[in-house]
Amino acid sequence: MLTTLLPPTTGSATVLGFDLRTQGSKIRERIGVVQQQDSFDQGLNVETSMDLYGLLWNVPKSVRRERIEQLIKDFSMEEFRRTSSLDLSIGQRRRLQVAREFMHEMDILFLDEPTVGLDPLVRRTALNYFKQKVKEGLSIFFTTHILEEAEYLCNRIAVINHGRIVAVDTPANLKRKFGTAKEVEFRFLEGTSEEFQRLLSTEDEVESVEFDKESGAYKAKTSKPELVIPEVYHVAERLGLHVSSVYISETTLEDAFISMVEGADKEAKVA
Amino acid sequence: MNGYVRLVYRNIRANLDKASLFFELIFPLFFIFVEGYGYTGIIQPFDLGNGRLIPYKVYLAAGAVCLTVINGGTNAGTQLWYDRKNGMFEQILMGPFNRAQYILGIVLATLIIGIAGSLLVFGLAFPVLGYSIAWTLRGALLVAFSLVIGTVFFGGLAIALSVVLRSSETFQIVSSFIFFVFLFTSSVFFPAATAPEPIRTISLLNPLTYTADIFRDGLFGLSPALLALELPVLAIEAAAIFAVAVFAFRRIRV
Repeated sequence: MLTTLLPPTTGSATVLGFDLRTQGSKIRERIGVVQQQDSFDQGLNVETSMDLYGLLWNVPKSVRRERIEQLIKDFSMEEFRRTSSLDLSIGQRRRLQVAREFMHEMDILFLDEPTVGLDPLVRRTALNYFKQKVKEGLSIFFTTHILEEAEYLCNRIAVINHGRIVAVDTPANLKRKFGTAKEVEFRFLEGTSEEFQRLLSTEDEVESVEFDKESGAYKAKTSKPELVIPEVYHVAERLGLHVSSVYISETTLEDAFISMVEGADKEAKVA
Repeated sequence: MNGYVRLVYRNIRANLDKASLFFELIFPLFFIFVEGYGYTGIIQPFDLGNGRLIPYKVYLAAGAVCLTVINGGTNAGTQLWYDRKNGMFEQILMGPFNRAQYILGIVLATLIIGIAGSLLVFGLAFPVLGYSIAWTLRGALLVAFSLVIGTVFFGGLAIALSVVLRSSETFQIVSSFIFFVFLFTSSVFFPAATAPEPIRTISLLNPLTYTADIFRDGLFGLSPALLALELPVLAIEAAAIFAVAVFAFRRIRV
């Protein structure tokens, strides 16, 4: 809707100060969009596709030439620069689609899951490229289900559940506000102890303690790991056990997301 | 560069491959030279109603040039169909263009291809057939009218079909079938007026009959009375189908 492809059903919105309903063409002149779905010109090679796309945006020929060379280099497309779009792999075609959007100037770039189909190396290259563009002044509206990418790239994140914004904040604040308990994971030099599990569970700061048979590790959930770790050593010493390793796992944005969405769903059910 | 020029150039460059265009040209030439010469031995030169005797190969050549109008028109549907399939339809509409500009870009590209193709076939066929045309302003205008309005009709029809038919196979088969029906029930191969019923009635509803007749009138000169009927009928049919195409196009969901 913000790209003006779909008309608003109710309400109003502005993009770059322009009204969505009445000033769509002014918005479109100043935005770039990488759709989630494929978009390519059938049968054209990478260079020609980029050139033709630049032409659609009325980019002068000399500028197009320069940008094509730079983008082919930035997105590592030298190998297949003259390959027809029909013969490209899904990942290569995706790379072309993302790179092509930078053929023209824009104030806001809408990226809808742009890294789908990219291998990890190219994905990181693309994310770094976006980050660089943001530093140079471009605003990016990034839609993704991969929360690591959102955390890596975004300054502000809006979480949408069933079409409604549940929260908007920085990644750090979202984790702080909605993050679930952290996990303290530890192992003993040898043996296991049900008594240890019971005793540690009774500590105030510990929400639960579980034993993972597969890894042979105990996992204690807590929001204050710095208070729980001394207790682990203390209880172990009382029972004559020797702790061999301790590891604290951080709250991830995914944890925070699940907590936000579940919270929102519960509220909706109550209402 | 003007937005329409950019769109038209892009449509021609991106959606139409050279091999397809080549075969679109070969197709009418095949009719002109193979069927035209083949049947000329058994069909005597005949009068088109203005007292001038026309050899069958020349009659057929004029009709076959109009066949290029169908091929050019089909391209409109193909362009839209590929853009929707490949995600370029949405991509362009999120760029500096609106729906009206997009569809007009397709129509203009189609007109260029249809008219240029027709003129090329004409230029290749008539000198070989050895028939010289005495050009007049009236004749040139009629030729231009028939090619432009004929292309608009078949372009509109192809656009409407490409909106309705989502699978590639169905679009190809249905559009080929429909265009063959138009072709063989028109006056491209035989004069509609002398055809037996019900072919005669069907051919009088067929816009390709009027396209071919007006084109022939521009070349050979025919009855003004017939022209007074055929010009508005073709224009109305083209306007009607184009309105249907615009209606269908506006309903495309993204």
